[in-house]
Amino acid sequence: MKTESHLARGRGKRAFRPGSNRGMASFAVLLFAIVSVMILMANFKLNYAVSATSDAYDAFSSQVVEKNGLSQAVKESILAIGETAIANSGGTLQQEIQNRLSSMSFGSNVTVSIDTALPVPSVPANAFYPFGTPPGSSQPSYFSASACTRPVAGMGGLFTSLCMLGPSADLGRLTVTFDRTNSASPEDARTYVVNADLFSVPLTNVDVIAYGLPITGSIPSAAPAVPPGFFGDGVSCLVTTSNNPANDSTAYPDLFASSGGERLPYQYRNAVSFSWNAYEYLWSPTYQNALLGAALIAPNAIYNFSTSFDPSNLQPFPGITVSPTGASVTVDCSAVTGSIVALVDPNGTGSVTITGSPAPGSPFILLVRNTSGVRTPVTFTGSNSRPAIFYLENSSVQFSGAPQIEGALFLDPTTTASGNVTWFGHFSFYGPASPLGTLGITMADTPAVKSALAPLAPRVLLVSTNATR
Amino acid sequence: MKPVSFRVSAAGFSIVEAIGTLVVSALVMGALTYGMGGLFSQQANPAVTYNGAAYTRAPSFDDFHQAIDLHTALSGAVDAADNIIVLGGTRSHPAFDPTGPSSALAENFADTALAAAAGEAGSKLFSSWDQRQINSSQFSSYLTSNPDPADFTILTVQGLSQITSVTHQRRRTAVIDGRSLALYEVTHQTVDWRSGSPVLTANSVTGTTPTYSYRFYYALAEDVWSMPPGATHYWYRADAAWDRDQEGPARVVFADPFALAGQDSGSSLSPVSRFVYFLPQLR
Repeated sequence: MKTESHLARGRGKRAFRPGSNRGMASFAVLLFAIVSVMILMANFKLNYAVSATSDAYDAFSSQVVEKNGLSQAVKESILAIGETAIANSGGTLQQEIQNRLSSMSFGSNVTVSIDTALPVPSVPANAFYPFGTPPGSSQPSYFSASACTRPVAGMGGLFTSLCMLGPSADLGRLTVTFDRTNSASPEDARTYVVNADLFSVPLTNVDVIAYGLPITGSIPSAAPAVPPGFFGDGVSCLVTTSNNPANDSTAYPDLFASSGGERLPYQYRNAVSFSWNAYEYLWSPTYQNALLGAALIAPNAIYNFSTSFDPSNLQPFPGITVSPTGASVTVDCSAVTGSIVALVDPNGTGSVTITGSPAPGSPFILLVRNTSGVRTPVTFTGSNSRPAIFYLENSSVQFSGAPQIEGALFLDPTTTASGNVTWFGHFSFYGPASPLGTLGITMADTPAVKSALAPLAPRVLLVSTNATR
Repeated sequence: MKPVSFRVSAAGFSIVEAIGTLVVSALVMGALTYGMGGLFSQQANPAVTYNGAAYTRAPSFDDFHQAIDLHTALSGAVDAADNIIVLGGTRSHPAFDPTGPSSALAENFADTALAAAAGEAGSKLFSSWDQRQINSSQFSSYLTSNPDPADFTILTVQGLSQITSVTHQRRRTAVIDGRSLALYEVTHQTVDWRSGSPVLTANSVTGTTPTYSYRFYYALAEDVWSMPPGATHYWYRADAAWDRDQEGPARVVFADPFALAGQDSGSSLSPVSRFVYFLPQLR
């Protein structure tokens, strides 16, 4: 029997030997295929790793946004209850937070709820005169505790820029805990803890405020023009104006949305508390009548130009001298003994002269209340070294002899002012009706005056929130 | 007995068949190799050295991983900051420097405190421009000349004076091995103040400072973006009379080591970085 090789030779051909050579070729192809598959798998795994890492980073970023959104919701809930404003919520903090939480949108499958195992605290009272005794205040420090405050570093620049201007009171920290779950990804469950730091800040800590009244009046479309020398060294000022470049030439269109109603960015939230909402409250009947109520209680003093007076008693209160006609009153700041002197002029028939005090003393409030259409003349005739808060409503203020006065000067929207004065302390006026065109005033930043006024000054609740995940 | 011819063909290749098989296999293998090479060129990371530092070619997964670490740390620093100072980029001031690019700080800036700002009123520091002015004596020797539009420095600050982190991005162009490259370097240095004294925090794994970094490059021709890396300052207002230099959030775009650059004007797809921030001057 012939073999295959014999047959091959018989046909004149050389056969390719089966065995190792053929196996090597097959092995090479197989090896190449294996390597190719491995490289493809490695490429797939690499892309998967990139995708998974990106997803994880996106989840992290989303949770940062979520927790910061919750921080803002908690802050607004606290302010809804405790802000110095004409309307506050009577609900609990938990209710306020829940209201805001229910209107927030989260990612699909994500649920965020208040952790009911940890009760939501109540908002502490921000008491101030005449409703209560304000908490003790001291000048805060960034990195160490002061007598009445914790260190404020880390509470945010928007917060510290206002609470560092003078003595403040620390109302403590509220903590609210939220549970976050993701039904599609249980490992993404998180606990968000929002810490809210509350400070009570006297409005008089800001040296100059050109305020607006968004509800009962208007807001200043642009900052008032200031005469040369108005701002002394270190004077802090605050005015919150329109963000529309068409209204305020200092505004830029970079972030202004021209369509729809104008909305201020959230950066201005604290400024609005100080320069809008607090003044709505300050000039509201609620606060003004409370001051009058306090003036009725001895040793405080109240004089009404529209009621009959006793001509035999022209000094009805210490420091208060009434003219024989009863139509004018002189206030000697050095002789006032109470915390508040109220002069009520409902018909615009009275006039007031303030002589000032050459010596320092305890602070007091002088309120001129005039709800008529005729302004009450108020004349400052001398310098005053006894810090006082002057609330002047519907008055025509005149500074005689360029006095130097320590205190806080609050002018309501209808009050006008003229003359020249150097003022040490606080000055606020209605931005849309600036008196600076007729009033020559130089402001000086005086920490001692701020401290002296703090016990009697209206206060603003300042809140800083920060969340951890 | 089976036919001989059948047995021959089943037992092995003829020389012609073997050669043909090898040729076809070579062609297939060559094609696959060429295809794989093209496919994985995106993952091939030939490194170049520039100024003593190694830069890998984008996309680079290793650098992407480091970028994630860096940006996680930066996000934490931003979250805990009172002020964020962004130096460099465009529109650092809407009137005085509306177009830029403005100077960033040199990468050897390693200060941990801002001495001049410590005594300033926070109400007057509502912009990075103001911060640059107030800290001018400290910054002046570090301000970069001829800055690239993609260059910036971010300082996170607590309590006006304590720097808690320093982040730099630098873009450089160079011809290396005959190729024109755009090289990006991003570094983040964390400062630990918990003990009361500042400590530059080293990387917990590598033990080096800056705490985190990544460096990579694109071909210069590909370095075209619809939202280019760099900082853009946005302003609410600038009011000298009432001290209202009020800057809005700055848009900061970091280079992304795992994004392919190269804006194709004919495509609806645009390269975009994963690492884009809107950083408010004040928190």
